[in-house]
Amino acid sequence: MQELLQRIAAKSEGWIELRFQSRSTKQIAVRNGELEESSSKRIQGIGVRALVDGVFGFASTTDLSETGILRAVEAAQGAARTSARAKKHHIEELAQATLSTGSYPLQTADPLDAHPLEEKLALVMDIDKRIRDSGDVIVSSNVSYAEIQDEKVIVTSDGACAHLFSAIPEFRTMAVAQKDGEQCFGNSSISVQGGWTELFSIRSPEEMAEYTVRMAIEQLTAPHPPGGTTTVVLDPGLVGVLSHEAIGHTVEADIVLGGAITLEKMDKEVASELITLIDSPTSDHQPGATGNLPVDDEGVEGRRTTIIDRGVLRSYLHNRETAAHFGVEPTGNARAFEYSDAPIIRMRNTYIEPGETSLEEMIAGVDDGFYCCGLGFGGQADSNAEFMFGVREARRIKKGKIGELVRGANISGNAFDVLKSVDAVGNKFQWDLGAGTCGKGQAAKVDAGGPHLRCKATIGGRQ
Amino acid sequence: MGNSSELRERCQQALELTKKHGADEVEIFAQTAQTVAVDVENNDLHTTSSQQETMIGIRAFVNQQVGFACTNVDEDLETACADAVQLAKGSPRDEHNLLDSPLPVTPVQEIYDTNAESFSAADAVGQAIRILELAESIDKRIIVGNASVSSNLVERCIANSRGLDQFERSSLFTYFALTTAKDGEQVSNMAFRFDASHFVRDLDVEPVIRGASADALGSLGAGRGESFLGPVILTPEAVGPILGSLITFQLNGRNALRGASRWGKALGNAIAAPLLTVVDDGRLAGGVATSAFDREGTPCARLVLIENGVAKSLMHNAYTARAMTASNTGHASGSARSIPGIGPSNISIQPGDVRKDDLIADVQHGLLVSRFSGSSNPISGDFSGVAKAAYLIKDGKLDRPVTGTLIAGNAFEALQSLSGISSETERVFASTLPYLRIENISITAE
Repeated sequence: MQELLQRIAAKSEGWIELRFQSRSTKQIAVRNGELEESSSKRIQGIGVRALVDGVFGFASTTDLSETGILRAVEAAQGAARTSARAKKHHIEELAQATLSTGSYPLQTADPLDAHPLEEKLALVMDIDKRIRDSGDVIVSSNVSYAEIQDEKVIVTSDGACAHLFSAIPEFRTMAVAQKDGEQCFGNSSISVQGGWTELFSIRSPEEMAEYTVRMAIEQLTAPHPPGGTTTVVLDPGLVGVLSHEAIGHTVEADIVLGGAITLEKMDKEVASELITLIDSPTSDHQPGATGNLPVDDEGVEGRRTTIIDRGVLRSYLHNRETAAHFGVEPTGNARAFEYSDAPIIRMRNTYIEPGETSLEEMIAGVDDGFYCCGLGFGGQADSNAEFMFGVREARRIKKGKIGELVRGANISGNAFDVLKSVDAVGNKFQWDLGAGTCGKGQAAKVDAGGPHLRCKATIGGRQ
Repeated sequence: MGNSSELRERCQQALELTKKHGADEVEIFAQTAQTVAVDVENNDLHTTSSQQETMIGIRAFVNQQVGFACTNVDEDLETACADAVQLAKGSPRDEHNLLDSPLPVTPVQEIYDTNAESFSAADAVGQAIRILELAESIDKRIIVGNASVSSNLVERCIANSRGLDQFERSSLFTYFALTTAKDGEQVSNMAFRFDASHFVRDLDVEPVIRGASADALGSLGAGRGESFLGPVILTPEAVGPILGSLITFQLNGRNALRGASRWGKALGNAIAAPLLTVVDDGRLAGGVATSAFDREGTPCARLVLIENGVAKSLMHNAYTARAMTASNTGHASGSARSIPGIGPSNISIQPGDVRKDDLIADVQHGLLVSRFSGSSNPISGDFSGVAKAAYLIKDGKLDRPVTGTLIAGNAFEALQSLSGISSETERVFASTLPYLRIENISITAE
């Protein structure tokens, strides 16, 4: 396949990018002891992007013959020509980049395929039973396992030729508890880029089940929080969500050009000097991050990007088009989820660098506030950095001690204001986006995390 | 697109292959999608694309054990059929894992436009240019951050070992605009509008860009809100995430079967104010999700979910109907990439008899919420989030736009405290929704 794509790219008039992807996924889902899904999917094809007269055209095909691929090339070039006359700003050139010609095998000593379906099904059934056996108050359980395995070949007419393999397993647990007609739920999820052993290296499925049940039951009797702006300590999961969702999207260069608040903020102070925010193609600080991406879908070698350096905005995230527009080097953030998606700017592993304060010190310094852990139901952020995230587990902090659980809390504010209010950064790092998938017209497996942070934010509550 | 016999033959071929590998019952769902799309980024055309894919989904039953596999690769069809059988053999037996015998299906009209076959990339580009020209003429402060116009020709074919063999062709044009307004240092909230049509003649991008522009401009210059407990008026766009998701989750037969729905055992009980009637109609004329049959080949029909505040029916597919000894309502959802789930088609909240302006006129101190950016937990009913493009209402009139205002409550309670439904409705994706007034919502200014 690699040679065929190189041959076609070499003959092409004008710039083209050919991306072969073969994806195999498996999914097992059990609810209340009943198997709801045992499935496998195989999706394969080639996505072709052509740059003609300063405009991109895209086409995809499942016909992997030379004739089929050439037909897709023609379709992509034709699509580009169609809009060339009407486009206002033509792409003069793509930014120069370090294009990969390497091969990137799976990074695991314990590949997923070495574990048979029976083993995975037995684990899912066992954890589901463990949840249901946790007490009469548990009325519903849901446990699932999924894996995505990809092989990609990325070839461009200006020299990229990369061959990549990746595997992403994920595991999810959910429980519903019921009392006096009221129902609450608890959940937990985990995902890594790697193999079977790595999936459970941070927390075991038994620990996930125990946490899930405890959250469902405790929420039944938890009060709602009062609303208002207060001191919060965020765990690495919520720090990751804040980094990715509320800040990260506003520095994706396509969103920047669309009028994001960050357009006017380059080289300006946007956060406390305690904050350094990174988007990285590798698993810095801790292995297994889901968003590892040694080469992006334009064939560009990934590089670690410091978005905010000690409080000052220093970089956006780029593909080759926006890097040329801003006169900088591409950062390796062009990604496509499937062969039939055109690459767009996406994050990889986005995190805040750890600092020096222990969690205990942080909590001890709060007279009245909340300790917020993990993303709960829903979350959204705007290009003006306003955000709202549901909190999975929020507890009161009173006079330096963690206290009662509150239910249905969410956290909101302007992400840059929140980062300016940070007065303590934790000294322990964790990737913790769970089995999160980012959506931006198409999906992407990403990761995010960081240390604990202490800052000011608004807790949504009731009057 | 090809002709119906090509996809039908492919289904029959997959059916025979799956039987050959040891399945005693088989369902094949095949889908071909042909798409032409133009994307707009940052006030300019960006990428024009064309795609075609055929996906075959195979559900194999062996002794009431089920496995599913799918593929888009012609050469892999037999492997996928064998995989589905293997997965079935490795699965636990479930007495409800059976296929339904086929029922007669009456085709629906007005979902396929032969003119759509000649709708070209150039036509899509023309519509995208119209979005940009309209935005510029409406207000120079509008930035079309993202927009898209796409034409989708879809063929669906379903066959099973009990003799089911259905084919349907549809065309759908979808178009949206995501805008912000920028005035000096001020950046508005993002505003989003979407619409769709089955026919070329009905494709009209103007209301989409006008609506998205008005919402973005309206939220410029928003000031600090106020904290109080009072009524909110939800626009159709805000109704879906706060109440729509709860209603569809609670009336999903699978959630009821698995004990995750408190309404599962409350059919016949009042679960909302008597004003509320909710209907799902898979055969709705012009509906975005209109189809003659569902993901399992069961005929789609009109189903009253809530009538005058009383929960009337759950949505079922074949599995949940059998497991709960209920009628299959034809709500099997999903594509050829996945096993059949359960979901609504064209769901609507029936309009009331009060004008939207009269809903506002009755409010002394309240909030109009144009978009909701938050979370709504369909199990506990708790919702909270940011009211986007929100306006304070004072003495029956829109007073001023406000920003950073949170609303919170419980959706089960909100349905009971529903105090008004507008006579105007709008289409939000496949739903048709009115404006709703809800009392006693907690409103907090940041």
